[in-house]
Amino acid sequence: MRATAPGGAPAALRSDLPRDGESPERAAARLAARRGALIALPPIATMTLLFVIPLAIVAVYSFATRGRTGRTVLGDWNIAAYARLGEPLVLEVVGRSLGYAVLTTAICLVIGYPFAYWLTTRPMRVRAVMIVLVMLPFWSNLLVRTYAWRVLLASDGPIPAAFAALGLGELRLLFTPFAVVLGLVYGYLPFMVLPLYAALERLDLRLVEAARDLGASGWEAFRHVTWPLSRPGVVAGSVLVMVPTFGAYVTPELLGGSRTTLVGSFVVRQFLSARDWPFGSALSMAILLLMLVATVVYFRLQEDRA
Amino acid sequence: MSGPTGPVPAVSLRQVTKRFPETRLDDEVVAVDALDLDIEDGEFFALLGPSGCGKTTTLRMVAGFEFPTSGSVHIHGEEMGHRPPDRRPVNTVFQSYALFPHMTVARNVAFGLEMRDVDRSEARRRVDEAIALVQLRGRGGAMPGDLSGGQQQRVALARAIVNRPKVLLLDEPLGALDLRLREAMQVELKQLQSMLGITFLHVTHDQEEALAMADRIGVMDAGRLVQVGTPAEVYERPRTRFVAEFLGDANLLTADVLDPSRVRLPDGTTARIATDRAAGSAVHLSLRPEQLDLVGPDEPVEHHLDSLEGTVARIGYFGSAIEYDVALDAGGPEVLVTARLGNSRGVVTREIGERVRMRWAPESATVLED
Repeated sequence: MRATAPGGAPAALRSDLPRDGESPERAAARLAARRGALIALPPIATMTLLFVIPLAIVAVYSFATRGRTGRTVLGDWNIAAYARLGEPLVLEVVGRSLGYAVLTTAICLVIGYPFAYWLTTRPMRVRAVMIVLVMLPFWSNLLVRTYAWRVLLASDGPIPAAFAALGLGELRLLFTPFAVVLGLVYGYLPFMVLPLYAALERLDLRLVEAARDLGASGWEAFRHVTWPLSRPGVVAGSVLVMVPTFGAYVTPELLGGSRTTLVGSFVVRQFLSARDWPFGSALSMAILLLMLVATVVYFRLQEDRA
Repeated sequence: MSGPTGPVPAVSLRQVTKRFPETRLDDEVVAVDALDLDIEDGEFFALLGPSGCGKTTTLRMVAGFEFPTSGSVHIHGEEMGHRPPDRRPVNTVFQSYALFPHMTVARNVAFGLEMRDVDRSEARRRVDEAIALVQLRGRGGAMPGDLSGGQQQRVALARAIVNRPKVLLLDEPLGALDLRLREAMQVELKQLQSMLGITFLHVTHDQEEALAMADRIGVMDAGRLVQVGTPAEVYERPRTRFVAEFLGDANLLTADVLDPSRVRLPDGTTARIATDRAAGSAVHLSLRPEQLDLVGPDEPVEHHLDSLEGTVARIGYFGSAIEYDVALDAGGPEVLVTARLGNSRGVVTREIGERVRMRWAPESATVLED
């Protein structure tokens, strides 16, 4: 029997009806796949337009040549820009950035973990308020907040002034590595706290009780139960802090000095002052790859331990 | 100190009270109220009560997860005070098991021994032994998430008993299992307990579980111990209306005390029953449905039995038993008394509307305190 759609069109033209010789299961699967593709289309289009295409442009530019006036010559493709990545200055900046990223991540973890843990022991209403407070800084621009730190840390600002008033001598904070790390920790701490909180909140407190019941001290219960079970949160938080701090631009630019140039500023300099787009693009691609590999390795290591 | 000279109880609670702050109001909730309890060494003791009666809080105070607001907890004569759980000679089998999901079965079981620095080879031997004891030989390498509920239950048990605690605390250990598995585990737990000789303190809201397993039962209600006794004592001689109704089914009849050995029933007839309540006071009688027997109204009353007459109002068929709800002649039609007759060969079946006489032996009725 040939079914006819209400509109009178033959069934073969209606894709939501089973095709000839198709089992109902297959037809259902085909429809589900089509519906899924339809739902996924807007994000895929957005990502392609705003992420994949610009990235492809950067990739193409990294193989181009810098003209004498600083104009990028497309064509004449080469890997000269990549060859320069081994230069001592590049290695120094990348190494310094990695150091700052690791230090910032470690500090965020040390501060964020106890805070997230404490949060899970609070009543629900207190937690909600605290989570909002953690996220509150995001409501204003990072640039504005970083300028606020500049005011606070400046040699005539309140913090050095308070230090001097206590007779502890002159304090130089701004444009030091300390200011950069402070700014980075301040800016990225929420990215550590939120995944940690999510992981710790899921933790069944009876497991900790079970450990205590079996003779574990409070510290041992933490080491054998709480810590390993919260590790997914630690991994997620670390990646979320490490990756953006490695490429951070605003904070080191505003709070750091010339001796604390990090990759973000270095890349910007290639594009703006040096007008060497191919080298800047090659640097960007290399950083991207480095972070990708580091993240994958980090996830793998954590999986093996779990 | 003087005191009793008998053997030291495994667990001894003296006037233990626990109050929790009520966060919404500036008030306190009394979870456990002046509890006195001695659990003998080697005994299987069940704390039985509805949820919120304080039984779990009591268990947690023995385990060391909570500390009494006042009163004292002794384990084998030692005052526990504010000693943390890791320094008490007890282990707990948790409700829903609380197995460490990131450790294998063997590591779960070995955890307590590791924490107490038991020698490695000795620990391995004891872990193997405990795993074999709960019939999980060969599953030591499995992760808890890969086990069925019943198997997880066994791991939880092995993880606790491998430490050879002086007292094993069980918090609704069978609550998450289905009926058939629960009944099988009841038998196993009981066997395990008599084999190991460890004192078991078992918290449950399931009266059948308590009756089937425990040497003694403590019935709790609203933070208080209402009655303590052997399963037969608490079931057959409930002290209060709460105990009578919480353990099994009970017919409650109002009656007036005539003298220390007789009461007057609603229909004016008398029943023989021993009571120390004053003559003239109104009391409740508890009669278990299975203690009642139905006969036709014309059959002669045997003088050693008491009886009441009525009309069959409802019939419930349960396969192995038949229940007749009988409306009494006196006391209004709303007073229904249930008789449960075993569905054995030769039992006379009755119809709705049929006149019947319910009979019982005087010693099977109990006068309740409230």
